[in-house]
Amino acid sequence: MLIYIAKRLWQSCILATVMSLIVFLGMFVVGDPVEMLADEDFTEQDKIDLAIELGVDKPLYEQYFTFAGNILQGDFGVSFVYDRPVLDLITERLPATVEIAVLAMIIGLGIGIPMGIFSGMKSTHWGSKTISVFTTIGYSIPNFWQALLLILFFAVFLKVLPASGRGDTVEILGIHWSIFSLDGLQHMALPAINLAIYKICMQTRLAKSGTQEILHQEFMTFAKAKGISKGRLLRRHLLRNILIPIVTITGLEIGGLIAFSTVTETVFAWPGIGKLLLDSIHMIDRPVVVAYLILITLMFVFINFVVDVLYAVLDPRIRYQK
Amino acid sequence: MKKYYSKFNTMKRIASGTFSGHPAAIIGLIGFLIFVIVAIFAPWIAPQNPYDLMTLDIMDGLLPPMAKLGNGTTAWLGTDALGRDILSSVIYGLRISLFVAFVAVIVGSFLGIILGLLAALKGGWVETLVMRAVDLKVSFPGILLALMMLAIFGTGVDKIIYALIIGTWANKARLTRSSALTEMSKEYIDAAKLAGLSNWRVMMHFLLPNSIAPVLVILPMSISGAIGAEATLSFLGVGVPITEPSLGLLIANGNDYLLSGKWWISIFPGLVLVGLVLCINVVADRIREYNNPYLKSRG
Amino acid sequence: MNTILTVKDLGISYPVGKNEIPALQAIRIDIAPAQVVGVVGESGAGKSTIGKAVLGLLDQNAIIKSGHIEFLGQNMLSMKEAKLESIRGKDIGYIYQNPMTALNPVLTIGEQMIEAIEANTNLRGKKARDYAIELLEQADVPEAEDRLTKYPHQLSGGLCQRIVIAIAISAKPKLIIADEPTTALDVTVQKAILNTLTKLCRQHDVAIMLITHDMGVVAEMCDYLYVLRYGKQVEQGPANDVIYNPQEAYSKQLMAAVPRIDKRVERFVVPGEESIQGKHAALTYLHDKEQSTRNSLQPILSAESLCKTFITPATMFRPKKEFKAVSGASFYVNEGETVGIVGESGSGKSTIGRMLLGLHDLTSGKVTYRGKDLAEFATEKERRKHSLSMQCIFQDPYSSLNPRMSAGQNITYALQAHGMIKEHEASELAGDLMALVGLPRADKDKKPYAFSGGERQRIGIARALAFRPDFLFCDEPTSALDVSVQAELLNLLRDLQKQFNLSMLFVSHDLAVVRYMCDRVIVMKDGVIVEQGSNEQIFDDPQHPYTQSLLAAMPRLENIA
Repeated sequence: MLIYIAKRLWQSCILATVMSLIVFLGMFVVGDPVEMLADEDFTEQDKIDLAIELGVDKPLYEQYFTFAGNILQGDFGVSFVYDRPVLDLITERLPATVEIAVLAMIIGLGIGIPMGIFSGMKSTHWGSKTISVFTTIGYSIPNFWQALLLILFFAVFLKVLPASGRGDTVEILGIHWSIFSLDGLQHMALPAINLAIYKICMQTRLAKSGTQEILHQEFMTFAKAKGISKGRLLRRHLLRNILIPIVTITGLEIGGLIAFSTVTETVFAWPGIGKLLLDSIHMIDRPVVVAYLILITLMFVFINFVVDVLYAVLDPRIRYQK
Repeated sequence: MKKYYSKFNTMKRIASGTFSGHPAAIIGLIGFLIFVIVAIFAPWIAPQNPYDLMTLDIMDGLLPPMAKLGNGTTAWLGTDALGRDILSSVIYGLRISLFVAFVAVIVGSFLGIILGLLAALKGGWVETLVMRAVDLKVSFPGILLALMMLAIFGTGVDKIIYALIIGTWANKARLTRSSALTEMSKEYIDAAKLAGLSNWRVMMHFLLPNSIAPVLVILPMSISGAIGAEATLSFLGVGVPITEPSLGLLIANGNDYLLSGKWWISIFPGLVLVGLVLCINVVADRIREYNNPYLKSRG
Repeated sequence: MNTILTVKDLGISYPVGKNEIPALQAIRIDIAPAQVVGVVGESGAGKSTIGKAVLGLLDQNAIIKSGHIEFLGQNMLSMKEAKLESIRGKDIGYIYQNPMTALNPVLTIGEQMIEAIEANTNLRGKKARDYAIELLEQADVPEAEDRLTKYPHQLSGGLCQRIVIAIAISAKPKLIIADEPTTALDVTVQKAILNTLTKLCRQHDVAIMLITHDMGVVAEMCDYLYVLRYGKQVEQGPANDVIYNPQEAYSKQLMAAVPRIDKRVERFVVPGEESIQGKHAALTYLHDKEQSTRNSLQPILSAESLCKTFITPATMFRPKKEFKAVSGASFYVNEGETVGIVGESGSGKSTIGRMLLGLHDLTSGKVTYRGKDLAEFATEKERRKHSLSMQCIFQDPYSSLNPRMSAGQNITYALQAHGMIKEHEASELAGDLMALVGLPRADKDKKPYAFSGGERQRIGIARALAFRPDFLFCDEPTSALDVSVQAELLNLLRDLQKQFNLSMLFVSHDLAVVRYMCDRVIVMKDGVIVEQGSNEQIFDDPQHPYTQSLLAAMPRLENIA
């Protein structure tokens, strides 16, 4: 098992390095940073000075090492637009995204998995069919349109929840949290629900197909033939097996959450890192975009690693390879 | 001629097996076909050409559905700020959405199938390279990747197609490779080699036709995914340009007027978009169900 | 008669599309206490359905049309689920065919055993665990305590089946339903497992319903026999009577089709069989072979010191792994002769074939075919051309044909590709060859899925014949087929061999089939040839201990219990 973890760790490091290289090279394709920062008043000499200051006059591989070295120290450069260290910008906005993402996750898993297992076990039941209809519609509506509909319904029509913004926050440990204030919770509601709907639909479908597949396996029939009670069949035999695909996909779905947070935060004007990314793209704030890319990449590599390890913990066939 | 006749019969058999007894899927299929036909014949169906600025009259702007335009025709779905008929905009927008998605998915699938086959056949470093690339791509959510790409390379119909191609190729490659690996271990491939057939023939006539089935099964899902992705990107402003608005961009344009009560500019494109994606998804679900291994009997 | 299980007039159907297909019709079975009853039949007989019906394990969509099942006076078909649950595992045990899939892969053996023990007996906790160990020891599982912490995939098939048996017997049931308990296992393992099962059942007075298609197993174990065909009962009676003196036509046919180990018969008796004499066109085609210059005294194929080692390259975390599939195999095949290779799984018999055919590279050794050393050809293409008369009949009828081509295309595609025949000729030839192997000419445009297993194998034979072969490598061609279908196919191969003077290398794990087909026999174990000799030598007077144990382990029709 240790060997397995070590192998995965090694592969993750390689992956992270490759990704950083790709991002770095991608940066280069975008354009000359000097031209981006300079305006008409700059003379040739000014430009050369700027180049030296930015370090772009050095050979490529040296630039890469500086780049990588900076990252490892946490230095992601300074934002063109806000003129502040990028890392500060990101850490400021991270809690907002984390809040709605975690809430959406909990709702998604909490509702999705039980509904999915129920649908899988009783696929002819009318409840199961209704669930199917809702989940199909649910993930057919694009994320942003769902957001618009939510706003129309809850904010404009019912006037129950606010349409945008973050509301009041409570500061704990130097971080601003919305979840501890009522106003904050109200503002969190719609964005979190928006993210959660997609999650619920995916999880339900996954849990349903996973359940159906497992129920058909011979060991389920055999366990029944042994005289095992239905409850135990469900808990020990079904659940243990279904955890494997669910964990794997959930881990990968975290990526989806981050991706969709971009859309959700834009529509609801929720000040998280998703909105930061989109604004930076529109304002061509390169350091922020690059930093975002790197951070997301590292996060994914990490998540993949954790999922692989969990996979080994849950599935003894991986753990004890012959 | 006999060859085509038997192929047609096979398709008929598959189609009736897949769809009979599942009204939802049939409705979905018909709906989708209607959308496609409307999109193809847009110039003849749409009452107005929304791109032709000469035909627009700003006095016709922001009229609600069923209102009469200055030139006497009815704007069934209302008009936008510039006086463009929403119905026509939606029809042309549908065209763009479908075009982008289809091209991207078809090209992406081609790419994915070829790479997957190569990986399975060559093994070694080719396989490692392709599979690592797949892993990389799969672990990255499609929207983000497209976002980054468009941020770097700019917007435009062709750029977004490239971005979507990069979004779809990976899981096709993975599916084709695993399918090809399974088929390669089957005895009919050995028999073909024993018959002295060249590697090329074995690949094209024996391996390929039997390996692409899983990809065909997920194709509808890919298309609906691409439509949704393009809509999202256009909505965020990094997708198609203003001159060729897809449904997503139309929704974004109408977004500003939503809260002031002029809902039709944004809602109708939205309804069409949702309808289109829903139709495809319903069909896709049915195809997947039908293809499910544990329901299939042997031989 | 005092019976513990009575099945009367049972009829079960399954819905397929809009119709109902009957799986069982008017079945009658009685099982007395401690009796071993065999339920035999070929595929499609519906045998498994009976076993499942008794325990209420049928699929949800099964329709019970008629009849009833009584166990110890209780009506099983109308029983509530809760009551069924209490009977399952406790009064009736169940052994299933594939032990690897019968056990849950993510739970330990111990957990799966203890949960059964706790569900069906009064033992709990430590007592249950100790009992589990005791059961494993009774089931002849070595290192019983250690095994409790292992997972199914870490153990062999035979070991898993013993565990399944231990679970089945744990609550000392009155009846055990064994559904093809040894089909997935090697011959020597099979014998041991059946011995264990018999021993345990005698010990605790447990009756067995043995569902199987293997006549030899039935002959050795059963007291009473029921013969089924396509869901209907054909014959029943004491095992001795049914096997040696079958009354009904089908049972006669079935028993006649079982290959015998005690003597080599000339031909299986298959009713309604057509000879291949009248199929002129194909015969002409095949007889039209170029008479190559071949020294008839030389063997057509000879192999010298063949070795094949599979190497898994070293990675950063694990050293290089080597697996010797074949070591130092030397043999030869004369013209018109059939040589058999016998061995269990892992013996290397299939690997040898693939080496001869050029599908695997040789690690070392020499293969000479028709006088030429196969390694001496300059290009792969030339080698293939020379070896085109060396063809193969494959094992799995469901994966040996291209599913996207019609039967006729499967047969003639390569010939067309090589330009050896024209397109209009191809259709004719395909029809001729299909007629030769006993298939309707008109079926040549059908796709493989429309044919049964036996029919597909015939198409495979036709495909091989299309090349006018001199040498046929038969890789377990009948292992996946029913007994009666096997008999027909083996007859066909023998006829073809005689007609066209074919030389054959016939691989099988079934000694009785080899006894019938082969003039000389090679016995392999773990990649090494342990004994070679003529048919009589090997079967009547085996020298090597492994050969002797192999022969002893084969269930024989002759060993009536």
